[in-house]
Amino acid sequence: MIFKRTIPLLIVLGIGLLGFMQDYVPHPWSASLVDEMTTWSLILGGFAALLGLYSLLHMHWSRMRRKMSGWGYSAFVFIGAIGMMAVGFFSDSIGTVTSGTERVSLYDWGYDYIYIPCAATVFSLLAFYMASAAFRTFRARNLAAGLLLVAAIIVMFGRVPLSETVSEWLLGDRQIIPNMAKAIMDYPNLAAKRGILLGIALGVISQSLRILLGIERSYLGGGD
Amino acid sequence: MSQIRNLPKHYELARRIIYVLIALAVILPYFFNPKQEFKPAIEVENIYKKIESIKPGGHVLISIDYDPASEAELYPMTLAIMRHCFKKGVIPVVMTPWPASVGIARLGCDEAANDANTMFQKKMVSGKDYVFLGFRPGFSQLILKMVNNLKGSFDKDYYGQPTQGMKALEGVNSLKEIDLLVDIAAVGSVEVWIAYGADKAGIPMAAGTTAVMTPDLYPFYQSNQLMGFLGGLRGAADYEKLLKISGRGERGMLAQSATHVLIILLILGANIRLFFGRFFAGGKGASR
Repeated sequence: MIFKRTIPLLIVLGIGLLGFMQDYVPHPWSASLVDEMTTWSLILGGFAALLGLYSLLHMHWSRMRRKMSGWGYSAFVFIGAIGMMAVGFFSDSIGTVTSGTERVSLYDWGYDYIYIPCAATVFSLLAFYMASAAFRTFRARNLAAGLLLVAAIIVMFGRVPLSETVSEWLLGDRQIIPNMAKAIMDYPNLAAKRGILLGIALGVISQSLRILLGIERSYLGGGD
Repeated sequence: MSQIRNLPKHYELARRIIYVLIALAVILPYFFNPKQEFKPAIEVENIYKKIESIKPGGHVLISIDYDPASEAELYPMTLAIMRHCFKKGVIPVVMTPWPASVGIARLGCDEAANDANTMFQKKMVSGKDYVFLGFRPGFSQLILKMVNNLKGSFDKDYYGQPTQGMKALEGVNSLKEIDLLVDIAAVGSVEVWIAYGADKAGIPMAAGTTAVMTPDLYPFYQSNQLMGFLGGLRGAADYEKLLKISGRGERGMLAQSATHVLIILLILGANIRLFFGRFFAGGKGASR
């Protein structure tokens, strides 16, 4: 028990207090301690990336082995990961390929001409889903929903240049509609966001204290 | 997916018509592209003025915290800020804490450096006029380390040149010597940069985010933890306008205007249908 619970808890308390106190100690020793601790943390981060890669490949390997629904997509994960790793590791021996007017490595070519278009395409589909969802669900069923609808329309319109032309044409001043959008963002939006941020900050402080004092132990595993 | 399949037939048809209209609203404006007049936002102007005030040889650290999925919104603002730095002779120090962002950051550096040659007749050399530090893992820990030791966090740049003794990093040993920190982000990294980077190092910070994330930045702007921000493609267009350069942001404004207006019309149309449906059904009809 002492190795599984007490010592890890003492390490967490000690490191946590050191990390907390260095903010208030401007001595060079304190700065070098933070430097050393963060260096170790970065090294651990590198290993965590390897662990993440193993976990991802293991999950997709299991899906393929069990022939689960959509297992063919998992094969693409392997093709992409192994292919990009191979051209990355052996880029010197593979040489360069022509990209426009320049010569680039095969790894960079794969990133520029496969990854970027695929990722941008998937994300751009969001515009279609958002428009369709807005049409089907954005309804003024009651006063609150009506207010939300009006605010959304003002902000959506006020953010595009066309609003300045329409504002001048209808109201005689180019900035009336954009300023209405800005006022919604500057006051109601800001107030709501600040409330949420304060709530999150208080939650983080209480959770940090629980971890430092050994009340929260779920990160140690074992179910408690 | 099953919910979409179970939609009434007229909704299924409406969905397809909406998809076609959105595609046309996005694509067609790029064929016409008339000049649009608009006033840049004050939040954007603050960043422009700050970079204008930095002496040639000063440093702007740009953290690329987005992957190619957000390229359409965030890449134009990356280019705009880098072009401004090159125009002013300020040294952009580009880095990323995300492995998927390395390629897009490299492209940004290359494109902005090439543009400087054609736009300002300046030949930009990596390691002298700008530096691309590449990727390091650890994120918040990396930022904490950079506050005290930037060159220790990145001992070599992306191209393998040692940062120790690099001309572009002359006088910069830590984040404290950076004149402006700019985080261009599609993830919740702005708060982390504020808490662990800008506030600890005591340097001014600005941010550029996707439009959907921009509302989150207002509390930090009001508390002066952010001296300015660029919100979505409009932010990039505002910056290009201030820079008097026609870029992707400005070119995308007509498409954005058309799409926003179309969505507003769709919402209004659906609500008018709901209202009249209720009216003719005695307040009970048109529930969907």
